[in-house]
Amino acid sequence: MVRRAKVSVLTIAALVVLGPASALAQEAEVVPASELLERSEAFDGEMLTLEGELVGDYGFRGDGYVWVQLNDDSYARRAIVDGGARTGSNIGVGARMPTVLSDGLDPAGGYRLEGPRVWLTGTWRHHDPERGGESYLDVVDLVVIQDGRRLQEGPDWAVFAAGTLLILVAVGMWLRRVRLAESPE
Amino acid sequence: MLIRPDREDLRIIVHALGRIFTVVAVASCVPLTWAVLGREWHPFASFLLMIGLFAFLGQVGLHYRPRVERLDWSHGMVVVALTWLAVPAIGSIPFIFSGHYGSPLDAMFDAMSGLTTTGLALVQDLDHLAPSLNFWRHLLHFLGGQGIVIAALVLFAGGGGLTLYYGEARDERILPSVRSTARFIWTVALVHLVAGVVVLGLVAHQVLGFDWKRAFFHALMIFFAGFDTGGFAPQSTSLGYYHSAAFELAAAVMMVAGAMSFGLHFALWRGPRRAVFKNLETRTILATFAATMVLTIIGLGATGVYGSVRGLTRQGFFQILSAHSGTGFSTVPAAELAAWGGLAFGGMTLAMAFGGMGSSTAGGVKALRIGLTVKAITNQIKQVLLPEGAVMKTQYYQSGRKRLTADLAQSAMTVSLLYVALFLLGTGVGLIYGYGLQGAMFESVSAGASVGLSVGITEPAMPVLLKLTYMFQMWAGRLEFVAVFALLGFAYAWVRGK
Repeated sequence: MVRRAKVSVLTIAALVVLGPASALAQEAEVVPASELLERSEAFDGEMLTLEGELVGDYGFRGDGYVWVQLNDDSYARRAIVDGGARTGSNIGVGARMPTVLSDGLDPAGGYRLEGPRVWLTGTWRHHDPERGGESYLDVVDLVVIQDGRRLQEGPDWAVFAAGTLLILVAVGMWLRRVRLAESPE
Repeated sequence: MLIRPDREDLRIIVHALGRIFTVVAVASCVPLTWAVLGREWHPFASFLLMIGLFAFLGQVGLHYRPRVERLDWSHGMVVVALTWLAVPAIGSIPFIFSGHYGSPLDAMFDAMSGLTTTGLALVQDLDHLAPSLNFWRHLLHFLGGQGIVIAALVLFAGGGGLTLYYGEARDERILPSVRSTARFIWTVALVHLVAGVVVLGLVAHQVLGFDWKRAFFHALMIFFAGFDTGGFAPQSTSLGYYHSAAFELAAAVMMVAGAMSFGLHFALWRGPRRAVFKNLETRTILATFAATMVLTIIGLGATGVYGSVRGLTRQGFFQILSAHSGTGFSTVPAAELAAWGGLAFGGMTLAMAFGGMGSSTAGGVKALRIGLTVKAITNQIKQVLLPEGAVMKTQYYQSGRKRLTADLAQSAMTVSLLYVALFLLGTGVGLIYGYGLQGAMFESVSAGASVGLSVGITEPAMPVLLKLTYMFQMWAGRLEFVAVFALLGFAYAWVRGK
């Protein structure tokens, strides 16, 4: 009960902050995540906008904030399972945002799941002393630019057939061995 | 005269490999089941193919029954070396068909990295990878960390257990028989599995706020990678994904448990606990951990990378523990790690090279060898100062008083030097391809000591020869050279023997 009341107070506080935040968001510089990771310290304390896909999990910490990862790479536009090209590892940053901003968001991206594509605006915290040296985007505004969606991936029938055949052959060999071992000769 | 192996030798080796492949085929049914439960039909088909190949080759091997079951030392070593090549090769099948790898070599790189509990990865778009494939990556850590050959020993009776056991770089027999020792190792692992997953799952749910299903998925993956000092993580940003000191602490406990020798686990479970701290190995690892920690913290402090003491100690402690235990989890991006110069770089590289304890899941030179080497060098210096003809006998404590013989000291120093040579090999190849000395050395030590921390060199676009070099380093480093040399010797005898 106490926890719920605390969250409500924080939510109201967040709404008060977020009103003017939307206006701030329009002013913020759009920075690619790769550049942000490359020159993290230079952006410390700056108000930035990042564009990308929310992936992984929404971590509701119970303190009025939710943590999520924002990926800004080619897979955020088209995942491999959706026919996207392979372009290397994922590029993403952690983001902390008021829980109220996550209302109505589609599930975060994962296997056969394209997460919502968003603009996240907030202050970049480089090695935040308050959080033991973590770096993350302290979000004040979120704009969904594309909803998440489910992706399809069917079985590869040729691989399935080859695997089944090999297993049948192996089982046949095993049965033959057992029969030979049991035979009196 | 070099004796050429005959057909009987081959039958013995092929038969033993058949047993091991059968065990791996059975173990591979776990990710297959995961794929069925998750209705992940594409990975399911590739798991089926992998299991089929393991089972088929297993049956072929078992078909070639030798006339006499006599797996001697060289056979056992060859079997272990071949197992650790064949399992990653066949185990990479699900990765190849996933579409998340640039080539079959990249897929095998990850399978080798998984099995040897290294943790360097070439997977692309990890954040959209099927959970069953992610599970298979981490299960490879578990199979490799605990020892797949040891698993075969538990399940199959048969001769040659001792040589197979030593072949997988276990140099300590805890219980009278190898089979009971192997059982103990797997019991320790399974008890930790249950306890670790419960603790990590609770933290993920209660502190991180993940739903129960995802909390336990993350818990299982991080347990496998932490306890087996592997270093893979289910998300692309490694442990940095969680943004939680509590979760890092829980993972750190798993890492420490994994870096401890199974002999130490045995002593903590059943033996006199106080004796543990008398062991040369325990004292050495505490000393090297403290020294590398101090170096790293001073280095980071001097460069002012972290503006606060809290940040400095949390990030410094976690990275150094990850390096020293050979885990390879990271809470900072590779580009940032690459910028850790000077003392911090030195501390991290030394920590990776030192590694964990012998007969543990960790890699590196290992604490006991370092302790023995230091003792032997100290003795040499003392000997010079003593009168001519004076004889000095040195003892050390390791589960009882033992004598430091010249043979033992030489053996410890030889293996230590082989590790140095292995690290230099990867560094040299890295330098040839134009990488800076610091980065090339860091990545090479990380591969050779089965750590998995990266400063960004390991990526899909890196040169093929460098990938092959790192794979060789992971393989040779994990097996601690003996089985590798035995295989090379066997091949040479096959060609040149009479």
